[in-house]
Amino acid sequence: MKKLMSTSLVAFLAAGFTANADSINILVEGGGEMLQKAVAEKFTEETGIEVNFTVVPYQGVFDKLSAEIASGSSSFDIATIDVVWNANFADHVEDLSDLFTDNVKADLPAALLADATVDGRMIGMPTWANAEIVFYRKDLWEDADNQAAFKTEYGYDLAPPATWQQWRDMAKFFTKDGMYGTSVNGLNSEEWMAHVLQAGSPGVIVDDAGNVILDNDAHVEALEFYRAPLCEDQSVPDNALEIGWGEAQNLFYQGQTAMMKFWAHAHKLTPEDSTVAGKVGVAPMLAGSAGIGGIPGPWYNVIPSTAENKEAAAKFVAYAFANNAMGIEAPLGLAAANSAYESYMGQAGYEHFGPLLDTLGGPATKGRPIHKDYQELVDEAVMPAFQAAMECEDNVAELLAEAAEVAADILD
Amino acid sequence: MAENRFVCLMLAPSVLFLGLLVAYPVCLLVFNSFYEVETITPHIREWVGLKNYADALTSKRIADSGWRTVQYSVFALFFEFVFGFCAALLFAAIADKSQWHRTIFALPLMVPPIVAGLLWRFLLVGQIGILNYGLTGAGLIDDPGDIKWLSDADLVIYSVAFADIWLTTSFVALVSYAGLTNIPKDLIEAARIDGANALNRFWHVTLPLMRPVIAVVLIVRGVDAAKTFDLIWIQTQGGPRNKSEVFSMNIYQRMVRFGDLGEASASAALFLIVMIVLAGIAYWKIWRPSHD
Repeated sequence: MKKLMSTSLVAFLAAGFTANADSINILVEGGGEMLQKAVAEKFTEETGIEVNFTVVPYQGVFDKLSAEIASGSSSFDIATIDVVWNANFADHVEDLSDLFTDNVKADLPAALLADATVDGRMIGMPTWANAEIVFYRKDLWEDADNQAAFKTEYGYDLAPPATWQQWRDMAKFFTKDGMYGTSVNGLNSEEWMAHVLQAGSPGVIVDDAGNVILDNDAHVEALEFYRAPLCEDQSVPDNALEIGWGEAQNLFYQGQTAMMKFWAHAHKLTPEDSTVAGKVGVAPMLAGSAGIGGIPGPWYNVIPSTAENKEAAAKFVAYAFANNAMGIEAPLGLAAANSAYESYMGQAGYEHFGPLLDTLGGPATKGRPIHKDYQELVDEAVMPAFQAAMECEDNVAELLAEAAEVAADILD
Repeated sequence: MAENRFVCLMLAPSVLFLGLLVAYPVCLLVFNSFYEVETITPHIREWVGLKNYADALTSKRIADSGWRTVQYSVFALFFEFVFGFCAALLFAAIADKSQWHRTIFALPLMVPPIVAGLLWRFLLVGQIGILNYGLTGAGLIDDPGDIKWLSDADLVIYSVAFADIWLTTSFVALVSYAGLTNIPKDLIEAARIDGANALNRFWHVTLPLMRPVIAVVLIVRGVDAAKTFDLIWIQTQGGPRNKSEVFSMNIYQRMVRFGDLGEASASAALFLIVMIVLAGIAYWKIWRPSHD
């Protein structure tokens, strides 16, 4: 570690001599390039510093940056990384605390600031953030017959679901005429993690002190709720273990499901030729006993310790955040700053920004554990238990207790 | 002597090439397997001797993924070989008229595995997959959700092999067809004059002469199937509950996602040894030019 720190220091000092760099290189995933392209062009116009993007697939960002760090030299001055890698790269990137002024901090959801902080250092600047919100069919919800029938059956008005019970009720209600109420994503555990937070857990998988909490009451309660539409209500397709993000989206767009929980950006991308075009409504993520809670999906701009043009890179990182709203015009239409989202509120086509901000700022919203072993914990401990639960046979508490043991072994 | 020097000179580029791109990485792999070392900090390492090998050999997860690799490879190879060889016999039977058939048959070979995996994932997935709708339409199943190709823990390792079979049957067919066209026609003719029927001609003349080609197909495709990664990863990511996780995927997880270079290297070294032994046995048993 000492060696790493001293290497960083030497490299940082050396950066002072290359402050007048005429170009910087950014390692980024495809979607990230689109979101930062406009701001990069404006940055070049104003500073004369060219911004070159190296675009790689999702996993390529991690692989390439790891390889560069391992080699001891980096051709990238900035890398835009997924939050789940923050812990892995924390020791190998610059501390950007100076860029986090009071104004910047005030303009970011607390969960995004917490995710940026590793061992007291602010290691990355949020570039865009997403979260799962509720998507529903406005035409079905606004239908007078449905409203009357729902009220008769469940005793309250049909409105976008806001609680766990409402979600289950509405999923059951709309499971008719060849349609399912919703679908259960059995290939990814993030949605269940959001429910864990809504149930009042201090975190997911491990708490802030690093203790395994995978089998606490909130995890159990959330998993029982998550699989209830599949195992008890039969209000979802029964092939949950084949359904990931893409499949859930397809089912909704094809009109086979009445609602889904999905990443907010998808609202802007509803295909025009889909059955549901023009009929999609959005609402914040569900609330449990701890209130609205979501798992943010932010990406961060980090400056590798081995970068050559650190000063120019820091300049870009600050500039990109100051002009964060420019990314909203890109196809994915995402930003990180509250002010960026707020500047588009009320405009047609951006109805999802309100629910997204409500979710990102929800009282129970919290990031996934910033832990080096996070990926291993998910793959080895969480997913086997999570997917076994989707088979509707085993006891949830027992599955999670076993998973907690595996997690403890990994952390040992 | 001059001739020897010339031979050495001619061999030098390939020796250099193989040394740099094969021998060096393999040596590095074996070297890393004796250390506890992380991918991101290869300069920080601790000697652990054979611990990584012991961990790998006693890991149930690795043993399970090894067994699934065998299941996947045997299943894929069997159908690829049967379909491919039959197609080759058909092409040979219609001789020159098979030009277009062969070209069309070879098209899946041009499809990148990632694309094929994605394609088959959407074909197989229940509710929205075309395959189950086709089966329902044909009256073979009652509901598109009846067969859970990619989520049934007992079925999934075979389901993910469909894409492999679709993708590489044409390779087997083309190689086998090339072998069939090289069988001297006079031998077949002689057997025919001797009164051998089609089955006898195939069994006693064609098949023995095709042995080297079959060996090549089995070794190349067998090794290829055993190290399949992308095709399965894109379809299931090893799920559900790791039931479609094969050995290469296990190595990938450990090395890339978990950053555990030491253990991943030990697993990879074991994998390499097994593959070399299998290829050696296949070569010795089936090919052996001097066998006959």
